[in-house]
Amino acid sequence: MLKIDHISKQFGELQALKQVTFDVADGEILGLIGQNGAGKSTTFHSILNFLNYQGTISWNEKPITESVFDEIGYLPEERSLMPKLTIEQQIIYLARLKNKPAKEIRPVIDDWLKKFAVKGTKKDKIKDLSKGNQQKVQLICTLIHDPKLIILDEPFSGLDPVNSDLLKQAILDAKKRGAAIIFSSHDMENVEELCDKLVMLRNGKVVLHGTVQEVRDSFGKTRIYVTTDKTIDELAMLPHVVAAKPLEKRRFVLYLDEESSGKAIFDELTQGQYIEEFSQQAPTLNEIFRRKAGEKDE
Amino acid sequence: MLILGPFLMLGITIGAGYVGAASGANSSNVAVISSQSTLRKNFLKENSADIDKKVTDEKVATKKMKKDNLAGYIVLKADNKRVTAKYVGTTSLSSSMKTKVNSFLAQTQQQLNMSQAKLSTQQLQALQQQPKLTEHIQEKAGTANLGKIISFWITVIMVYMVLITYTSITAQEIASEKGTKVIEIIFSSTTALKYFLGKIFGVLLVILTQILVYLVGGWGAYIFAENSSLTKSFVNQYQSLINSVMHNLLSVNLVYLLLGVVIYTILAAFCGALVAKVEDASKAAQPVIMLNLVAFFVTFPFQNNVDSIVVKILSYVPFFSSYFMPLRLINNNASTMEIMISLLILLASIILLAMYIGKIYQGLMLQTDDSSFWKRFKRGLSYK
Repeated sequence: MLKIDHISKQFGELQALKQVTFDVADGEILGLIGQNGAGKSTTFHSILNFLNYQGTISWNEKPITESVFDEIGYLPEERSLMPKLTIEQQIIYLARLKNKPAKEIRPVIDDWLKKFAVKGTKKDKIKDLSKGNQQKVQLICTLIHDPKLIILDEPFSGLDPVNSDLLKQAILDAKKRGAAIIFSSHDMENVEELCDKLVMLRNGKVVLHGTVQEVRDSFGKTRIYVTTDKTIDELAMLPHVVAAKPLEKRRFVLYLDEESSGKAIFDELTQGQYIEEFSQQAPTLNEIFRRKAGEKDE
Repeated sequence: MLILGPFLMLGITIGAGYVGAASGANSSNVAVISSQSTLRKNFLKENSADIDKKVTDEKVATKKMKKDNLAGYIVLKADNKRVTAKYVGTTSLSSSMKTKVNSFLAQTQQQLNMSQAKLSTQQLQALQQQPKLTEHIQEKAGTANLGKIISFWITVIMVYMVLITYTSITAQEIASEKGTKVIEIIFSSTTALKYFLGKIFGVLLVILTQILVYLVGGWGAYIFAENSSLTKSFVNQYQSLINSVMHNLLSVNLVYLLLGVVIYTILAAFCGALVAKVEDASKAAQPVIMLNLVAFFVTFPFQNNVDSIVVKILSYVPFFSSYFMPLRLINNNASTMEIMISLLILLASIILLAMYIGKIYQGLMLQTDDSSFWKRFKRGLSYK
């Protein structure tokens, strides 16, 4: 288990992290979200011991030092490989730094390239690969030594939907074999789909923490998705509806001022008749992200 | 390529020289023609260089001259009283060939004159007396001085070139690693100190390999020069000078070269780690290159003044000692104790500098703000 306990970090005048606390259990995926500059990369750098910080970080109750480096797989935010090496040389070089002998890695390289649908062969040079393929090779480098703690900084950025699905599957495979996974992302759909838990940082402070459902539910089920023949003006006039927005033909979302008004609106819209769709939900992560990002610090 | 480059250049130069000489040789050769075969044989016996021996008659010679394969031909004739030579050519006879022909003619004419005069053996012997010039050169002192001058220039230029090469490569490589951010992955796998020391150790192995290859290559070239007909006489003539230069080069000076590369490489790695972008890598190496340049040029005025206090002090100062102690060694100006102290200071400086830079290396490599050199330097020191 990765345990982050009240860590703080200051760069000159800038308080980059303030008492950040969370943990990631084995076989769990945690999404770290926040605007640019919120402190996500600083959190990762602290976990990896790149920085001095106040507070404690432990992996399986041991401080993160060289002795546990072999158990970590890290994908930095900026993609970075050695352009003159071949795919095989690059993967073996980084795996050997994790104390995985070349003879163990060499035979499985082709399988990994196939798994991530990397175009070309392992003898191709990194510099000759497309950006997307370079990114996939880097993901392979991060995962090939079967790390127990996986840290992915913006892993989905720059990937098309097909490659995103490949990455999602790889993350889920790692979760299945018991790895603790933490990744940052600006794509809330991925976070919602993959993560067991999420932490949102704003100006270095944790502003949201919990399971995805807990976080969403904490904002109340103040959204109603409805398919009806009523006009948008008629819907906007309903009691406790703050706003109404059209989504598709005859489909609307209604924003309520309080969760409890849902039943009254249901009665009003259905009047004992069949209705195609009526779904009362909590706000999406995207909405929550926007709202929390826009709030001011206390 | 780095190691074999100089050999390749040398090979190309020698090859080009050989090809140039070979192609030029034919057109500058002359033929020697004579209806009296003994006369021709006698000439060729004493003078074989620059002669096309295959040509024996004027027709062939003229044909070859037209094709520009022959510079000309000499026709030798002799009767009872006189020996003559006639030269026909597209260019005038070279002065060395003229001397050879004149000398042959004079010698042959003298023999002819003496046989015509019908002299007694005693008279013949008396006439054959030659004046004698003897030379006495204090070879040891002359060679030793020249040896020192040659050793000085070879040493300082070698140290300078090797240091420039390795510092530039190291600074560039480290800056490019920083530029690609691959360093973050590396630091998540091993400690910065280990990685840094590994890099320096790698450079050390490369320079050791280079020295070894040069030693083997140099030894091979020397053996070749000693046995090749082209260079044999040159090697024999300058044997003591070559020995003196070899002695100066294959000594503790090599250790100074090796340690010089290490300390300059450490500094270059430090400077490479300070850049924010890979494009600035060449700028990063500038302080090290400047320091190397200063050390290189400062040696010049002291080439003939090794007793100066400046030389003595600088032969103990790291970054300068790789130039100044060899300078003293070439001039037999340093005792074993002085060499040991200087080497110890250099070694200690290398260890301390490597440990210190290794410690702050992570901070230097992970900060990427594009501010001024000193700001980045200060920030790097306090990054953690």
